[in-house]
Amino acid sequence: MAMATAAAAGSTGMSLPVLSASETDGADVAWNKAPCRFCGTGCHVQVGVQDGKVVAIAGDKNAEVNKGLLCVKGYHVGGILYGKDRLTQPLLRRGESYEPISWAAAIDIIADRIEAAPERFAFYGSGQWTIPEGYAAQKFMKGGLSNNHIDPNARLCMASAVTGFLATYGVDEPAGCYDDLDQCDVLIMWGNNPAEMHPVLFSRVVDRRSRGEKVTLIDIGTRRTRTTEHCQHYLEMKGHGDLAIANGIAHLLIKNDIYDHEFVNSFCNFKAPDDTNPNLNGRSLQFDEYVALLEPYTPEYVEEVSGVPADQIRMLADLFGNRNLKITSLWCMGMNQHTRGTAINTMVHGIHLLSGHFGKPGDAPTSLTGQPSACGTVREVGTLAHALPGGRVVANEEHRQQSEEIWNVPPGRINPKPGFHTVQMWESFCTPKAEGGEIDTIWVQVTNPGQTLPNLNKLFNAKEGQDEKFLIVSDVYPTATTRLADLILPSAMWVEKNGVFGNSERRTQQWFKMVEPPGEARDDCWQTIAVARRLFERGVEGMQDRDGKFLFHIEDDAGKEIPTWQWEHYYDTNVDEHLFEEYRKFTRLKHKDLAPYAEYVKARGLRWPVVENNGQWLETRFRFSEGFDPYVSAGKKIQFYHSSTHDDRAQIWFNPWIAPAEVPDEEYPLMLCTGRVLEHWHTGTMTRRVPELSRAMPGAYIEMNPSDAADAGIRNGDQVRVESRRGALTMVAWIEGRGKPPKGTVFVPFFDETILINDLTLDAIDPFSKQPDYKKSAVRIRKAN
Amino acid sequence: MSTNRPIGFWGMSMLVIVSIAIVGYFVGIQSPMNPVTRNGLPAASPLGSHFSTSGENSGTSGAIPAPTYSQLANMDWGAANRRKTSLTDLPKPPTVFDPNQTLTITPQQKDFALAMRDRNRAFNGAPPTVPHPIDQMSAESCMACHGEGVQTESLRISKMSHQFLTNCTQCHVESISQNLTPVEFAESTFVGLPAPSGGLTAYAGAPPQIPHSTWMRVNCTSCHGFTGQVGLQTTHPWRQNCQQCHAPTSALDQIQLETEPRFLDPPNIDQ
Repeated sequence: MAMATAAAAGSTGMSLPVLSASETDGADVAWNKAPCRFCGTGCHVQVGVQDGKVVAIAGDKNAEVNKGLLCVKGYHVGGILYGKDRLTQPLLRRGESYEPISWAAAIDIIADRIEAAPERFAFYGSGQWTIPEGYAAQKFMKGGLSNNHIDPNARLCMASAVTGFLATYGVDEPAGCYDDLDQCDVLIMWGNNPAEMHPVLFSRVVDRRSRGEKVTLIDIGTRRTRTTEHCQHYLEMKGHGDLAIANGIAHLLIKNDIYDHEFVNSFCNFKAPDDTNPNLNGRSLQFDEYVALLEPYTPEYVEEVSGVPADQIRMLADLFGNRNLKITSLWCMGMNQHTRGTAINTMVHGIHLLSGHFGKPGDAPTSLTGQPSACGTVREVGTLAHALPGGRVVANEEHRQQSEEIWNVPPGRINPKPGFHTVQMWESFCTPKAEGGEIDTIWVQVTNPGQTLPNLNKLFNAKEGQDEKFLIVSDVYPTATTRLADLILPSAMWVEKNGVFGNSERRTQQWFKMVEPPGEARDDCWQTIAVARRLFERGVEGMQDRDGKFLFHIEDDAGKEIPTWQWEHYYDTNVDEHLFEEYRKFTRLKHKDLAPYAEYVKARGLRWPVVENNGQWLETRFRFSEGFDPYVSAGKKIQFYHSSTHDDRAQIWFNPWIAPAEVPDEEYPLMLCTGRVLEHWHTGTMTRRVPELSRAMPGAYIEMNPSDAADAGIRNGDQVRVESRRGALTMVAWIEGRGKPPKGTVFVPFFDETILINDLTLDAIDPFSKQPDYKKSAVRIRKAN
Repeated sequence: MSTNRPIGFWGMSMLVIVSIAIVGYFVGIQSPMNPVTRNGLPAASPLGSHFSTSGENSGTSGAIPAPTYSQLANMDWGAANRRKTSLTDLPKPPTVFDPNQTLTITPQQKDFALAMRDRNRAFNGAPPTVPHPIDQMSAESCMACHGEGVQTESLRISKMSHQFLTNCTQCHVESISQNLTPVEFAESTFVGLPAPSGGLTAYAGAPPQIPHSTWMRVNCTSCHGFTGQVGLQTTHPWRQNCQQCHAPTSALDQIQLETEPRFLDPPNIDQ
């Protein structure tokens, strides 16, 4: 090899060599846009397709979100389609093995299970559902089966962000957007590691420094991460310290009289939890009552409970007290996976409102999402046990009537009682019928609860051996969930189908199918419609609308019904567009207006509310702010037009500091935090099949503080036994590695399906959002033999 | 031009190529673009001997660790004696690159260079993975070498091909994890777009069009300069203004302009 490539001695006077262009110079590659399949950032990629296969990916230069840049996962997103073990045919469990069956047989089996006991059926969905997929499942369950047992994995991910927005503004989702990252002078990250989890957004901030701009980064966290390395300030706190820190800032803003009097007097009310009747409205406070509740939260007391030095609390308060600075807060799982998640979410909104750092570009409290359509499909379509599309809820009679009207289903079809939230649903599924378990059949689409539920032994593994329980899993690869599946359905993924996602900044993004799915893999949305049709054919009344037509009736221009439930006819029309146009009617009920489907085909996403003005569909960058949001009345400056107190005001909440649900003790002396890494997306089912990503990050490990490791006689690379009250695992130690946890804490990523750290995590949940806390479980460790 | 320079260049090229070939022999070609030669990865670090690996004394993540002051007195330097912690102490190339020379590139050299590039890229346009240990926490260490590009006797360290972006590890990850059990994972049928072997030319001797996107490939010298693979180097390194002759492609550069040139309606000509 070396000899063959030895360089020829060059001499002057030779003509320049001409090498002919080969046939592989990419000229026959077709490029098209799609949002990335992974996180909630919502980057657009250009997908290169050649001979029916994805062969290359490029950052989309014309996308506002990422401006041509991606992260290492995004650059390799094309590879996720081509893992060797893609599921390509429906599989039915026969004892310990699986028998390939036809789609027709699989649809019949699901229809049998539902028809036998529709009220004992549950649908477990996802923030990775496309908007049409989630909308179809939602309509099928609530508008068809009168069954509200539909909940998504996003319950584990951002439910506390939702309750935080609702409790504060009366309506969900951020007022600001990513443009804040270009404008802010100070960026505060609350328990957030965007350098690894939202790298494109993080680069959007830190790259400003390369252009000579000054931006102060503050990391309030429980361990040193790659994000910390870019920050001027690192405030290392104990779990739940954030509750005290937020109160400490509010305390000083008032004590030093540096809060924004005008903003508070004009636009805010005060609230505290109603302990006798806990709900998101709480009890109203007078300003002096609010001040009195904050009185104990002196910087010294905050230091005592949070571990953050009093001077750094003062530093934060002085920043918020400075009206000349623009301050943006970001958070994600640190504040959401928290047994007081609703409380801390409202409190971070609260200090922004109290200090007037709201409603101007660069001044915003913004929560990030981890899934590509947690906002679009879960929060907006409302695929939650209590919700309906467009911010409607099942418990409200007027909301049910509105939904029944749009769906054209008979009045009274929608069940007024909320269904089971995620933890309840799986607990009920794992409980034998004789012992009160109310769910017999769960259909899982686009998610992996066998890896992501907390306390897996209780909430998932207990299903094993219960013959009366039936688990249906639609997925693209074998996963920790298909382990216990009775019926496995092969799904199409990402650019193998049409789709629409909604990202963290209210941006709705559309893409078209570009390649064929492998084998018999089919769209999740088709699967739902096919089951609905089978039930319709069997005469199940719920599958008919008021006129006796099929719930998912779609006709062509000539008025002839298109049999979309037949796979060979599914792409005769754009089912996504039909569902989207129907769903759009809901979005106008709560000022979350979406544009027609065709507008999204042209755009790299649009941020709602998208309102028509002189034939132009205009997006909204900053909600509730005059001059940006078309629904703010002239002269109002700031108008919280969905205020829960009906006075156009937002609510500033006081919530007390409360210790975590489980704290280390003599028996289990260390606090375990779980989380993600740059290279792998969530449970790794996609990214771990990409060689470039898996070689860089092959498996899970435990991060420890060197002094804890030394105490236990553990060195880098040693096998460590990790035990909690719920389970035990063995894994390799990585000390001074990717992250650096402080003494008394350890960190384990959850991407590795062979090291299921959720065997160890606690299943305690936030009382309002019902979201578990994956960040604070007590464990003990020892060197494994 | 001096007559002994081509010989010096030849010698240096041989050295580089031989050392790369030796590394390549042990590493195997790992990219999915070359699935045939993916096997045979040794369990030990696949890296060249000039890199440190995480030894027992290493508390850090693979970059060469400094001992603490308290350790210095009792340090067993051992193998660490051979470590070079300063870039400037590494042996220099036998001759300094002469920008005035004319190079001739053989098709074999080009094929070899493209194969070397493929080793740590999933497809043409993918961010290359990093074939050496990295600091897990800090991206600043990347800039020490990749800020300007370096050539030593045994190393060609390319300059970043794009503008300065702060968070290097966002896109560039280790080719093989240095800290966790390395795996040779190949359970994928993804076939990446290969790198083009050349640009379209209008006629023999015409300057070829740039056959790749120029997005994130702003510094032509990163690959085509003296720290690039020999087979990719420009034959005329003294030229500074590359795009004077080599035109980019609007489609690959995602320029949202007309895909075809438009013209006014032709004159009506009565037959």
